[in-house]
Amino acid sequence: MDQHFITLTVNGDSHRVPVAVQDTLVDVLRNKLGLMGTKRGCTSGSCGVCTIQGEDSRAVLSCLALAIEWDGRSLTTIEGVATPAGLHPVQQAFLEFGAVQCGACTPGLIMTAKALLETNPSPDEAAINEALAGAICRCTGHIKVKEAVRQAIRRMAATTEDADGAPQG
Amino acid sequence: MARRKAELDVVGRSQPRLDGPEKLAGRSVFTDDVVLPGMLHGRIVRSPLPRARILNIDTSAALRLPGVKAVITHADAPKVYVGIEQPLFRKDIVNYVGDEVAAVAAMDEATAIEAARLIRVDYEPLPAVFTMTDAMKPDAVQIHAKAKGNIAWAQSRDHGDVDATFAASAHVRTDRYSTPASHNCYAEFHSVVADWSRPDKLSVWTPTQTALLFQKAIARALGLTDGAVRLMTLHTGGGFTGRSAARPHHFIAPLLSRKAGRPVKIRMTGDEEFIVCRAGGEVQYRFRTGISSEGLIKAFEADLTFDTGAYVESQMIVLILTAAYIHTLYKLEATRYTGKLIHTNNIPYYFHHGGGIAQMAFGLGLHMDALAREVGMDPVDFHLRNAVTKGHTNMTGTFFGSCGLKECITKVTKKAGWKRKYGKLPPLKGIGLGIGAMASGAKGVFKHDTSAAFIKVQDDGTMSLFIGLPDMGQSSHTAMAIIAAEVLGAQPTDITVIAGDTDVTPLDVGAFTQRGTFNTGNAVKAACLDARQQIAVTAAGILGVKPARLEFRGGKIYPKGEPEKSLPFRKAVYDTLHSREGRFVMGRGFYNSPKETGTMAFSFGAQVAEVTVDPVTGMVTVDRVIAAHDVGRAINPRIVEGQIDGQIFSGMSQVLYEEMLLEDGQVMNPSRLDYKLPRSHEMPAVEHIIVETIDPFGPFGAKEVGEGPIVCTLPAIANAVANALGVPINDMPITPWHILRILGRRGPAGD
Repeated sequence: MDQHFITLTVNGDSHRVPVAVQDTLVDVLRNKLGLMGTKRGCTSGSCGVCTIQGEDSRAVLSCLALAIEWDGRSLTTIEGVATPAGLHPVQQAFLEFGAVQCGACTPGLIMTAKALLETNPSPDEAAINEALAGAICRCTGHIKVKEAVRQAIRRMAATTEDADGAPQG
Repeated sequence: MARRKAELDVVGRSQPRLDGPEKLAGRSVFTDDVVLPGMLHGRIVRSPLPRARILNIDTSAALRLPGVKAVITHADAPKVYVGIEQPLFRKDIVNYVGDEVAAVAAMDEATAIEAARLIRVDYEPLPAVFTMTDAMKPDAVQIHAKAKGNIAWAQSRDHGDVDATFAASAHVRTDRYSTPASHNCYAEFHSVVADWSRPDKLSVWTPTQTALLFQKAIARALGLTDGAVRLMTLHTGGGFTGRSAARPHHFIAPLLSRKAGRPVKIRMTGDEEFIVCRAGGEVQYRFRTGISSEGLIKAFEADLTFDTGAYVESQMIVLILTAAYIHTLYKLEATRYTGKLIHTNNIPYYFHHGGGIAQMAFGLGLHMDALAREVGMDPVDFHLRNAVTKGHTNMTGTFFGSCGLKECITKVTKKAGWKRKYGKLPPLKGIGLGIGAMASGAKGVFKHDTSAAFIKVQDDGTMSLFIGLPDMGQSSHTAMAIIAAEVLGAQPTDITVIAGDTDVTPLDVGAFTQRGTFNTGNAVKAACLDARQQIAVTAAGILGVKPARLEFRGGKIYPKGEPEKSLPFRKAVYDTLHSREGRFVMGRGFYNSPKETGTMAFSFGAQVAEVTVDPVTGMVTVDRVIAAHDVGRAINPRIVEGQIDGQIFSGMSQVLYEEMLLEDGQVMNPSRLDYKLPRSHEMPAVEHIIVETIDPFGPFGAKEVGEGPIVCTLPAIANAVANALGVPINDMPITPWHILRILGRRGPAGD
């Protein structure tokens, strides 16, 4: 099958990767770049486990995105969320609130929640529900996931206020 | 929460799961993440017809395709059987849409898919049968010669004088119910990696609830000794009872690997996932109950008919397990159960979440509620009057060493405001109660129900805990670390859990029948007591007291009641290892239920659900669920809550939404877009009440919380919907279509 080279920036690292026209981003991330954190789910956009973030921070289903269309673009995967210093506030909240169980859908949920908070820092209940509607998790039943997302919103808001030098009592 | 024994340090304190950071950072390894040098990709060729004769299989075009390394059919595995009358590959007759006919292994997935397409199979279609009613007709197609009348298996059992007790009952009620074919919808799809390139050793990576049963099944089918099969369980993306038996792909991947001399990965596609899963089939229930004039249940009869699909792999257990649960909630004088498994040309079925028991609880809960109302009793009073209690021995001989059923019912109905609401809600609003029980382990698969554990203590005071219990998300590994830490006076984070490699980890029957916390927990406790004894010898010498007087807590060892005379745990371990004798600290322990069969403990629960029915759309909104569960002791309370939450989701999903729709044996909704599960916004507010009854046999008094809650959710929501509509409900899922039909029958609905 014909291979085309594309340039893809993943978590800040630039890669020159050969792809076939039918390769999706999840295939390229996992099979060509060895980034196994993005899980492969239904491969038809119905389960949400393969969610990543595009340049505009929005959530993208990597199983529905053709890699060749991402030539020259950048994206963030679950491997780019935590830093050597520790977990991202969203990950930390998931840990504390018990919002991770089997873990197979967890990377997708983290990317979905992070995308929500970066595109809408103070989402209401409806916005949280809408964002999470594309992810299915039989283990947690979404309950602790929502608690964790609300906690992450509070914590990220507090961090922003600290950074502004105007923490509120 | 209940009695907190002051002497417990880490048990009962919420501990984030130890594998959480790894899972959250995307570093946890699942089977699909396993890549081995030279690994090939496999693909299974399945029957597109529900019943047909195979006239010819032509593999020549597939073999000519560049990149194809192995093709196998019945000719390669004539003696490999995966079930009764079920050879791994079909030679003559296929019996369901999805039946395995051939398999290929190729350099990459795309080539494997193309090769599978090139395998030409000629079929002669044969008449097939798809419903149990049709399958039981005298002139029905006989699917297997040995299963006369398409009855694959039948069992019946009486306890007490059933007919006389019914005859003596003041009131008898009979109801019929049904539950549909369903699917578990795992986040991690079915997958396997097998490496049989070395003829004397087969290594298999796969998600499972039981490495032991998979190892034994694969060894037996392929003619190997157990020791020649190394079964490795990585992270497992959900279990829900469905991953407790090996499936055909677990045998196909090894055979492809043997033929190609290279490792092979097989991962199911979206459609295949619905075929391979073997979740629940349709079940029809008939319940008959006889009560005294005081409202005491005297006699109970259950007749259960299961669609077992095209083959019997291990479905007898579905019937046996479900039937055992007619004995767990009420004090009874006589019981009768009759059950059968019926063959159809549907998928071979197995278990959905709740293991048959939750699905039976849907009908059982509706039946008991209807019976209570019929004799003018409030369902809560009716359940309280009949509920089993601590010290009860049921008709199958199970002793209830602890029992919080009445406490759960009382607490949950009080918190819900039951008295204020029941019978007094506006039209289309309803409230319902569901109660349940669940075993903590059940002897019966083998003569034993053993879990074993080793603990290796390092000279820096950290430990490696070796167990054979898988963690499918229930946080069993963290629970085991908490138990170990409690015994050794350490912190759970001091402990590395090493699990799921049959070459390394000790015997464990696995994570089903809710045996993990109870059996493996007791094994871990025993292993850690063994290690503690070894360390205590050194510490006692240093402190000048008898070993039995020592307390291990907070990283210190000290004589009981004299914490000021403490010695660091680490020093005692170091001195033990670095003594002239060089004593290596390694504790070992195991637990096996002392009973002949069955369980040592039941957990109990009660849930109240409140619902609103929309008369225009027929949609049911679950407004609130309150859940009270007697878990014996909550080892890790926040995780206990999470287990309850997930089961409320799954129970609600089954009772309101889930149904695998089949047409002529073909799954018509094989995707998460078409197979409905609750979305985030549909989940109700959930409140938890954890009841601790401190079981005398469980580790630190713990029982289970793995499936007890879901057994309560289905009847709680079903009863709430029946309460909102004021009409009986007999079938699930209770879909909008179902509701509108009911409302239509009653004429125009109120606002």
